[in-house]
Amino acid sequence: MRAFRKISRRELLAGAGATGAALGGAPFLQAQPKRPKIAAVTTTFFKYSHTQHIVDRFLEGYGWNGEYHRPPMDLVSLYVDQVGPRDLSRERGRRYPAMRMCSTIAEALTLGGDKLAVDGIVVVGEHGDYARNEMGQTQYPRYEFFQQIFKVFRDSGRAVPVFNDKHLSWKWEWAKEIYDTSRELNFPLMAGSSLPVTWRTPSVEMPANARCKEALCVCYGGVDSYDFHGLETIQCMVERRHGGETGVKSLTAYKGESFWKACAEGVWPRDLMDAALCRSHTLTPAREGFNDIFPTLADMKRLVKNPVAYRYEHNDGLYSTMLLMAGLVKDFNFAARLDTGIFSTQMYLPMPDGRTTLATFFSPLVNGMEQMFLTGKPTYPVERTLLTTGLTEAGVKSLFANGARQETPHLKISYQPTHESTFQRL
Amino acid sequence: MKRIAVIGSIYKYLSHVQHIADRFLVGYPYEGTWHKPDMQVVSLYIDQKPEGDLSAARAKEFGFKVYPTIAEALRCGGPKLAVDAVLIIAEHGDYPRNDKGQILYPRYEFFKACTEVFEKDGRVVPVYNDKHLSYSFEKAKWMVDASKRMKFPMLAGSSLPVTWTLPELDLPIGCQMEEALMVGNGGSDPMDYHALEAMQSMIERRKGGETGVRAVEMLIGEAVWKAAAQGRWSNKLLQSALSRSDTPLGLSELDSRPQDLATNGELHKLVKDPAAYLIEHNDGLKTTLLMLTGAIQDFNFAANVRGLGIKSCQFLLTPVPNVTYSACLVSHIEHMFETGKARYPVERTLLVSGMLESCLTSKLQGSTRLATPHLNVHYQASKYQPNR
Repeated sequence: MRAFRKISRRELLAGAGATGAALGGAPFLQAQPKRPKIAAVTTTFFKYSHTQHIVDRFLEGYGWNGEYHRPPMDLVSLYVDQVGPRDLSRERGRRYPAMRMCSTIAEALTLGGDKLAVDGIVVVGEHGDYARNEMGQTQYPRYEFFQQIFKVFRDSGRAVPVFNDKHLSWKWEWAKEIYDTSRELNFPLMAGSSLPVTWRTPSVEMPANARCKEALCVCYGGVDSYDFHGLETIQCMVERRHGGETGVKSLTAYKGESFWKACAEGVWPRDLMDAALCRSHTLTPAREGFNDIFPTLADMKRLVKNPVAYRYEHNDGLYSTMLLMAGLVKDFNFAARLDTGIFSTQMYLPMPDGRTTLATFFSPLVNGMEQMFLTGKPTYPVERTLLTTGLTEAGVKSLFANGARQETPHLKISYQPTHESTFQRL
Repeated sequence: MKRIAVIGSIYKYLSHVQHIADRFLVGYPYEGTWHKPDMQVVSLYIDQKPEGDLSAARAKEFGFKVYPTIAEALRCGGPKLAVDAVLIIAEHGDYPRNDKGQILYPRYEFFKACTEVFEKDGRVVPVYNDKHLSYSFEKAKWMVDASKRMKFPMLAGSSLPVTWTLPELDLPIGCQMEEALMVGNGGSDPMDYHALEAMQSMIERRKGGETGVRAVEMLIGEAVWKAAAQGRWSNKLLQSALSRSDTPLGLSELDSRPQDLATNGELHKLVKDPAAYLIEHNDGLKTTLLMLTGAIQDFNFAANVRGLGIKSCQFLLTPVPNVTYSACLVSHIEHMFETGKARYPVERTLLVSGMLESCLTSKLQGSTRLATPHLNVHYQASKYQPNR
């Protein structure tokens, strides 16, 4: 894996000067204009879809750092792949006539001209009616979207920063190709979940250079969806350990009876699992009449119908475990064993499942994109999401192979975390 | 092992007694562990036993006794005070309201019964009183005075001041505060109390500490919006407080779009019965509670602090049924029971009890401005900032 190479401002400007230069190596970015023009390339747009949460924040603004923040950029075009009966994009298009409603991705990027005409792109390939394969992966067309974006970049001899919501692809080779192309065309790429950037209760950061031997997340949801969020929860923390991320060499998945057997045998540390559960705000009461009571293993077995675990070994010896325990919790809780003791927190999602009306955890995600669109630098490393993309696929494959251990030499992804924390604290 | 008496109004699922007392029985999440207090509930007095009463079942399972009177509960049926601490939780249950709309929970009566035992038996123990001390400042004052006179540690109040805030907001002790505002929602007098106390936990950190309240005025209806136009409360602070909300209603409820409720003109449409609690402190600080039921469903604070600008946060009420914020509260109760020292002053709760009563009196009297010389309650904030 080639190390992420930071593009300096000087290089950016030099690239801007080299108009018409051959593709492959030369930076294609130009100095950013005052108000960047942003295109959104999405699957579908309905209430509570990721597109709605993200696009609306560019259009309507959002609460940020104690103010009502309006992004200093314009969402100038929107491509929606599937316009369904619950569509909101047409309503938004009417209220925001400056946003061009586009029938192709190329149009969204060129604004109807023959060359790239935007300064940044947001790809949201989540939700919508897409086929599922035999392994249960929803084949969201993120790679297909990127193929079309790359064509415009190449045809225009210029590339601009791209944010991709969630994992890069359901398929590792495609994710790797997206990543490699971003290096080849030298444009900033960001991706991922909102879990790494949302509030934490308590509001704590993994200590820099921590010596960490075990990390674990207890969360909920299904395979090829929330497992990715759980993996990102772990990864945004463990990447701060001593030496940074070194990649993952193997993964084993557990489900159903094999999950409970592994749990009882201590395949993952029970004390970390309990510590993570003690950070939950949504522990299903194990006994009637009690509102908040710690479950026994027997209670957990009764409450969690389809438990899933991904346990994986990093190249430096760290073990991480992602536990999907739908029925027991409805939040994302992290615990790690450091040489100073157990460290734990919750990545808090103000979820619009009846509790809130706004999924405000999309606000730090959008704010991170804005920073990249303004500075030309990713706010946090895309290698995090490249790795979690591969881990999600490895988890799905291991489950499909009845828990067979997956060797993951392709996930030898090394990278360093950002110096500053990037989760929401202000 | 400390022995605890619980004096409660009702013991039903999701009542305050259940939330709080159960944590002493089954433990609670605390700093990443499941913490079991080294204390034993040994006696219970429960005032009302409606359908769904859990008191008998809990007593049986956890080996304590339910007594017919408070005195017997404190003496565990014997001749003398036989517990090391008392939890008074008079919230929920069937109690009448007065003409100000206050529910007449018998907190004063429960507390007084405890002090009578202390006096007769010649020994005192720490007392926690859930929520405000009383609907009446006079009664509340008597309670605090009794704890001082008899020298027993006392803690009281809401869980809102001790829950997590988003973001974590540590206002420096001694900061110069120019104005503060809280937005909340829900009925009076339960929810306005929580909101006022949450705001008080922030503003008491200002330079000079709390100096008491000299006047209050409670506005309702159109007068609330007019007062903003007259500069009697700050729309800028409202905008900052609302920027912390995860629950704007109206258009956000319709299709989850974020909105700047302070400026987009929707607020007036959404809030059918707005209320503004305008409070003037003795040191000149003006604070406002806006109850905007219909516009939002959470509690958010903003203050203008010299040198820091506008600081704001949400007081996070975590989901039902866990309501983990009550675990935060219990950790402070447990600390007081264990050490005999309250982490924050009971005067906070005393002052807010009186503020609320006077605001509701102002409302009853047609929103007149009420001078409140009796609310001359001075205290210093504790250095401890419990929003963790």
